[in-house]
Amino acid sequence: MRLRDLLSINYYRQKAKAGLLVIVIAALTFEGITLVQFYFSRSSIREEAERRAQSELETTKLEIIDVIDQTETGLRNSLWLAQWALQRPDSIVAVSRRVVENNPVIAGSTLALVPDYDPAHPLFAPYVVRQGDSLVYKSLATEEYNYPRQEWFTKPLETGLSYWSEPYWDEGGGEILMTTFSLPVMDAKGRIAAILTADISLDWLTELVGEIEVYPKAFGILTSRSGQFMVCPEESLVMTSRMQDMKTSMDDTTSYGELSRAILSGEAGSRAIWQRGKKYYVYFAPVERTGWSMSIVIPNDEIYGTIRKVGGLIAFLQFLGVLLLLLILQFTFRNQLRMDRIAEKEQKMENDLRIASNIQMAMIPKASPAFMARHDLDIAAGIVPAREVGGDLYDFFVRDEKLFFCIGDVSGKGVPAALVMAMTRSQFRTLALRETSPARIVSAINDSMSEVNENNMFVTLFCGVLDLVTGHLLYCNAGHNAPLSFSRDIRFLDVLPNVAIGIVPGMEYQEQDTYLIYDDALFLYTDGITEAENINQDLFGEERLIEALRSRRRSEEQLNSVRKAINAFVGEAPQSDDKAMLFLHYLNPRLVLRNEISEISRLEPFIEAVLRGAGCNDATVMNLNLALEEVVTNVVLYAYPSGMEGTVSIEARQEDGVMSFIISDSGRPFDPTLVPDADTTLAAEDRAIGGLGIFLVRNLVDDLSYERKDDKNYLYLKKKI
Amino acid sequence: MDIQLIKNEAVTTIRFIGRLDTPASADAAKAVEPALQDAAGTIVLDCSEMTYISSSGLRIFLTLRKAAAAAGGKVIVQHISPDIRQVFMITGFLNLFEIED
Repeated sequence: MRLRDLLSINYYRQKAKAGLLVIVIAALTFEGITLVQFYFSRSSIREEAERRAQSELETTKLEIIDVIDQTETGLRNSLWLAQWALQRPDSIVAVSRRVVENNPVIAGSTLALVPDYDPAHPLFAPYVVRQGDSLVYKSLATEEYNYPRQEWFTKPLETGLSYWSEPYWDEGGGEILMTTFSLPVMDAKGRIAAILTADISLDWLTELVGEIEVYPKAFGILTSRSGQFMVCPEESLVMTSRMQDMKTSMDDTTSYGELSRAILSGEAGSRAIWQRGKKYYVYFAPVERTGWSMSIVIPNDEIYGTIRKVGGLIAFLQFLGVLLLLLILQFTFRNQLRMDRIAEKEQKMENDLRIASNIQMAMIPKASPAFMARHDLDIAAGIVPAREVGGDLYDFFVRDEKLFFCIGDVSGKGVPAALVMAMTRSQFRTLALRETSPARIVSAINDSMSEVNENNMFVTLFCGVLDLVTGHLLYCNAGHNAPLSFSRDIRFLDVLPNVAIGIVPGMEYQEQDTYLIYDDALFLYTDGITEAENINQDLFGEERLIEALRSRRRSEEQLNSVRKAINAFVGEAPQSDDKAMLFLHYLNPRLVLRNEISEISRLEPFIEAVLRGAGCNDATVMNLNLALEEVVTNVVLYAYPSGMEGTVSIEARQEDGVMSFIISDSGRPFDPTLVPDADTTLAAEDRAIGGLGIFLVRNLVDDLSYERKDDKNYLYLKKKI
Repeated sequence: MDIQLIKNEAVTTIRFIGRLDTPASADAAKAVEPALQDAAGTIVLDCSEMTYISSSGLRIFLTLRKAAAAAGGKVIVQHISPDIRQVFMITGFLNLFEIED
């Protein structure tokens, strides 16, 4: 993990915190706005409720007063008739009948004489009452009724003014709420002679007041002068209870007491009361002349119901919104946290991978300090994984004068490939300790890989065993790209297209062989080299690779040349694949040939390579070639008994401008220096077919000497160059 | 080594192409055998494309020369390179063959 990433994680954390703060502030602002809005709506809604209540009160009151007016007017219009009738007692009944007949509002009427006003009739109160469509007469001057004691009679009599009685149940007329309007009737002398009354039914009041629907649950109440309930939704209270008696059922008796006082005093206004935990607004106004009071009761919930509902909804939505924001924030934060954890894990993994990478790199032999002492071999290899660890592998080591080497590419990249790579490489090491056949090594790796290959990974592998003494190279290719072979020319090594490792269990891999001679080289690589891409996605390719390797240099320089060429080609494009390469330069100045004629063909490239390397001209190359061929041919043909296998070794040395060659064999002792010169002056017919070789050798080199040592023939051949 | 043998009446032309070294000489010896039958005529050894010759190759030349000498014919060596001419010189072959450039 780089510092920049750490900083950025911190940055995101701070961002999450800032996000939370913003949400909290937003939520608080929301709520504040809502509260202010709620407060203002509340007062305006209350004003609206009051306005509606007042207007309803006014309307209802006007309707009541209309009836009251009709009654009063109707009765007053009959007053002259009543005064007239005072002198004619027989007409008194007619007055009441006329009052009822002329005023549909009036249900019953009486003209009750003041006791003893008419001596003929000390008590006289004929009563006319509407029953259905007809009128019924009865006398109120009965002992049990005793009209002079009735309120409707006494009040106007005392005051001389009209009077609206307290409402009452009309027992006779069938449970109808009634009220009576009484007018004092003066006689000619200005004395109150009688009381004229009009009874009106108050049933319509129940309907009228009951109809009040300012709000669904609002209701109207009509109370009498004494506080008696005249209209009330609770019917059991009508005419049985007085409003001031209800005080005890209220939660707040003070405010209710204040209310009843105001109502009873005939004031107009509004008050709040509480009953069973609920708040009610009572709007009230007196009904003039009657002493009644009209009230509209609106439950507080009703007034603010809508706003409460809307407010509740808004609050709920806001809550939801804030909750949602919080959830989003929490989600983001958690995500961030998880990302952090992943990043931490990645960091840990990266560390692990770095360690793994170090281990992996440690497993791989670096360039050739181990072979520094060897002059016959210059080998270097390098690997560049695309990630911390990679699936490319190479290995090489020398055992029993044999170089075991391999290069491979595990399918895929990263850790899985690295594991398979490590496994393959360790198997190669283990197997190469006892096997000398690359085909058997590859087959054995294949068998054990195929057995456990659950992930269907495969490995392309090129495996070689180079006999450092003879230059004999055995190799086996398992699906890997062909190495480049540098000899007199540069070409791809001829490889069989064997299937890659890990695919076919029990596969018998075929091996091939060739000889490396002095100055021959092999370049083994994985396809990450040739398939390196530049930003235009062009591939590095084989041609550029060959160009980078064309000059003969030390192996390490060759690898650097390839690296440079790739870097120059790829430029800024990211590395897409693992890259591994191995350059093997065979510099054994010694050639070992079997005692077969065909083997002599291998001599010329060797001599050529050695002498060209030493800077010899064409003539010298050919002369030495010829001389060496002659002595080697001699050994091949004659040193060993017929049918016996043997070898001849040619070793080149260069010292102080002199090329020397040591030709050695284990054959029978033979000193060619003792062979007499052929007589080249003889005519063709006399010339021997043999003997020319040694003669040529003697004439082509500067010095020729022989030694028999350790049961071996050594022929030393020197030429100035 | 590639050897072409062209017979034109009394003249047999043998073209040596490439290196006439020891391994090549065994095959070359067989390839020139038919020419031995016509040793009485003229055998032309065209060396314009021969790059190398060792004693084994020289032996084939000598064999042909001997056969021609025996049959009364002659062997002409054509177009040898300077390097090969030197070998011919060392070995005294310049004296044995009629050399044409």
